[in-house]
Amino acid sequence: MRRRRRSVDDSDFQDPLKNYETPAYNDDLDRSLMEGEIRDIKITPFTAVLPETTIQEAITEMRDSSIACLLIARDGKLLGIFSVRDVLNRVVDNYDRIMNDPVSDVMTPNPTAVYRTDSPAKALNLMADSGFRHLPILNVDEKVVGILGPRRVTSYLRKFLPD
Amino acid sequence: MSELELRYVITVHRDESVRHCIQQMRSYGLGCVVVVGEKNITVGKFTERLLIPLLLSGESLDVPVAKHMSTDWGTVSTEDPIANVIEQMESKKLRFVIVVNSKGQPVGLTGQKGVAEYIAEHFPRRVKVQESQATKIFLDHREGA
Repeated sequence: MRRRRRSVDDSDFQDPLKNYETPAYNDDLDRSLMEGEIRDIKITPFTAVLPETTIQEAITEMRDSSIACLLIARDGKLLGIFSVRDVLNRVVDNYDRIMNDPVSDVMTPNPTAVYRTDSPAKALNLMADSGFRHLPILNVDEKVVGILGPRRVTSYLRKFLPD
Repeated sequence: MSELELRYVITVHRDESVRHCIQQMRSYGLGCVVVVGEKNITVGKFTERLLIPLLLSGESLDVPVAKHMSTDWGTVSTEDPIANVIEQMESKKLRFVIVVNSKGQPVGLTGQKGVAEYIAEHFPRRVKVQESQATKIFLDHREGA
């Protein structure tokens, strides 16, 4: 039995993207916020320690590396974050008593992170609206690849700001 | 600068203790206090970051803040453009910049977070609509060949 070839009627075809509108950007800053990626920003090298590292060792690492924030990780998997704000709020009053306790006792567990391919707008949202100063950066395998602070973001966006 | 929302500035006298500064920073949720001398003129700043060497030195928190404050700070005038704030922070690698009036008296505090908030406020269509959690891209589950 011969099959009859069905003629294609143009009226049957429905373009799924027919209502798609190309984003309109006001300027380069506007465009970079949405179309840029976090990996375009110069990501700060990060320092990570194991959760059983003592508080004293963690603080010494922060001093020696001149950093304000440590990531707590095991085998590349992010477990927590420990910053100078944690030192202010959880450590300084009891330092002599807890200096040999593990840093996992005073870290912020399960911190909010961003992916390398997220937009700068997302990082700004988390920093400006949600108040996160440092954002760990993950790759698609959920491994830590860097850390992002507000200085890097403002430096990146500065070139798009009008003089 | 008039478009930038300034943070409350905590001022402490140079003879106050480090412990007092810590309590002030904690109660206002800020990471910096401005240290002033006579006539309320700025003489330094003390930030949460300075707690690190202080703790490791084993020194008491009851010493005057003048002993541990940083004398390297950035100031901008209330009349300066925002670009000056960014310039100060980048050139001196600062997190905070002190905003002073024409008499040199601190009237506010701003910094990297303030600039980030400024940009977010001016591009609400881009920044405010973002999800508050990170999004994962599922490259291993993508459709197609």
